Amino acid sequence: MSNQAKTRTVEEINQKIRKGDAQVLTAEEMKKLVESSGVEVAFKEVDVVTTGTFGAMCSSGAVVNLGHSDPPIKIEKAWMNDVEVCHPGAAVDLFIGATNMSEKLPFEYGGGHVIQDLVAGNEVELRATAYGTDCYPRTSVKTTLTKDDLNQFYLLNFRNCYQRYNCAVNSSDEIIYTYMSKLLPRFRNATFSGAGELNPLMNDPDYETMGMGTRIFLGGAQGYIIGEGTQHSPKNLNGTLMVKGDAKKMSPEFLQGAAFTGYGTSLYVGLGVPIPILNEGLAKKTAIQDSEILTDIVDYSVPRRDRPKFGQVSYKELKSGSITVNGKKIRVSSLSSLKMAKKVSQTLKSWIDEGTFFLTSPVERLPTKTIFKPMRQTEEIPFVVSVMHPAVTCTEDEEIQAIAKRIVTKSVNHIVVVDEAGKLLGIVTSWDITRAMAEGKKALADIETHNVFTAKPDEPLEIASKRMAQHNISALPVIDIEKKVLGIVTSEDVSKLLGR
Amino acid sequence: MARILIRFSEEQVSEPIASQIIIEYKVPMAILSAHINSKGGEILAEVPDAILEKVVNAFRQRGVSVSVPKLIEVDSDKCFSCGSCIALCPVEAISLAKDSTVEFDKEKCVGSTCSVCVDACPARAIKSIKQNGADYSAKDKVKKS
Ligand code: SF4
Ligand code: SF4
Repeated sequence: MSNQAKTRTVEEINQKIRKGDAQVLTAEEMKKLVESSGVEVAFKEVDVVTTGTFGAMCSSGAVVNLGHSDPPIKIEKAWMNDVEVCHPGAAVDLFIGATNMSEKLPFEYGGGHVIQDLVAGNEVELRATAYGTDCYPRTSVKTTLTKDDLNQFYLLNFRNCYQRYNCAVNSSDEIIYTYMSKLLPRFRNATFSGAGELNPLMNDPDYETMGMGTRIFLGGAQGYIIGEGTQHSPKNLNGTLMVKGDAKKMSPEFLQGAAFTGYGTSLYVGLGVPIPILNEGLAKKTAIQDSEILTDIVDYSVPRRDRPKFGQVSYKELKSGSITVNGKKIRVSSLSSLKMAKKVSQTLKSWIDEGTFFLTSPVERLPTKTIFKPMRQTEEIPFVVSVMHPAVTCTEDEEIQAIAKRIVTKSVNHIVVVDEAGKLLGIVTSWDITRAMAEGKKALADIETHNVFTAKPDEPLEIASKRMAQHNISALPVIDIEKKVLGIVTSEDVSKLLGR
Repeated sequence: MARILIRFSEEQVSEPIASQIIIEYKVPMAILSAHINSKGGEILAEVPDAILEKVVNAFRQRGVSVSVPKLIEVDSDKCFSCGSCIALCPVEAISLAKDSTVEFDKEKCVGSTCSVCVDACPARAIKSIKQNGADYSAKDKVKKS
């Protein structure tokens, strides 16, 4: 290629790989080069940039074909190491979903672990049952298998490699366990996911070089992009990939089963895409830095599709270990492994350097206009706000006698104790009052409950109802983020609406 | 420095045993964490190695159980350095090395009195071993003397 040329082709790059003189940089190295020498020089010097990511990717799984038993069986239900596997097709084809959990060890062992065990060469126990047909008479089978016994064992992940992901926090008073891991109460930690500037899609955000047929690094072997992933949403930089690869050739280092307490199991997948630097534009795009990649800080304690957000942060801030939310410093750490993401990009680079990996042009590029729609729901569920009503309140300096009177005149069972600003201080029930009168107590402070369970207006009623049942109480003051009392919701309201 | 876990029963909790020992033996004892209420509790403290035996014996003579808490164990073969555990640690015992490997500082970790990181590890690489007073290294040291 002459110095004047403004483009190069994938075929030219493959020629160079064959001769052993292709210039390959990892995404990390490319950013440094562009910073020090500029886009023009980087384009001239670099043929390929390797990217990488290693994170929990729940929409992963593997297709296996077992071969036929004698007499043959048309499997109806099957389990591998006590994890139920799906049987979406013919007699002995199975799909191991990463998030299916073991019936004996739920939340600890699941489909992701079965895949890792098989990839590692371990023996896996298969159990299957069937109803029996004239052509497939057998009704049960039990055996052990390794990957060598399988005809096909293909990783088939329908959503991998999210371009970027949310940063998760928890504003509530309780620890929550989510797919974003353990979130401590009152913003005591934050988590994020994704490799930021090393992510494959981030380095080619217009998907110039990616699509069906792009050869990639997948789980430690060569695999392929087979199209857009589910929920692909390129317009807001949330692109995803659907990928496939021969799991028999993969390595358990780059495919690891995972267990998220309270959420379930998953699979960590190592995935890297080589980006051919076909023009200066791509040289520039692959120079993208963490500081330019922003994501939302999202409150995972609100169990809604559209959760409250607390502004944006860059991956640079996220990787620094702390971010600022509402003026408060919060420690933040990653769910996906930066170390492994780097290892993916370095391994892919070494394959190309050694001449064992060649690039492909996609036969169809990833779509750039797909929109990710929410679910069409024909039935709406009720929220706290739709049943809450004004709370009867009192202040801490009031006499018990006066409060008792209010309970009678307003005919309620709960009085919410507030300060002058209307913020929640405690709660007293008619039972507390009766007891106080019987025991001759005068001070509200002696009978008031300070540790109050509350509800938020935009919470589903179902969840508020569960909270009441769990703590054996019959009402929850409804408060806003500043603890201001907005109303009250009682178990009577719930039973009227939900019929329980 | 050695770390000891002092367990008080419901009866002992109201007595100022720890302060008595600190004064009597003039031991510089750093309290790393304390979980105490009227039903009893645990204190994790750090004492200089040289007076470890003396302190352990002093507590035992007063009927308080003392053990050297097992720190958490991290299986480095299983850990894939995701980092989920880092921001959870209250004493900043976990950090990211230059090459992005996650490292645990056993000196800082308060072990089985904390265990916050244990159930957050997706690789289940962290184990915390709750100990009873029966098996631990300090006891052996005490016996040998
Ligand atoms: S057990 Fe507690 S102190 Fe020790 S590393 Fe884990 S979180 Fe930190
Ligand atoms: S959470 Fe587990 S796998 Fe992740 S860095 Fe910590 S010990 Fe390693």
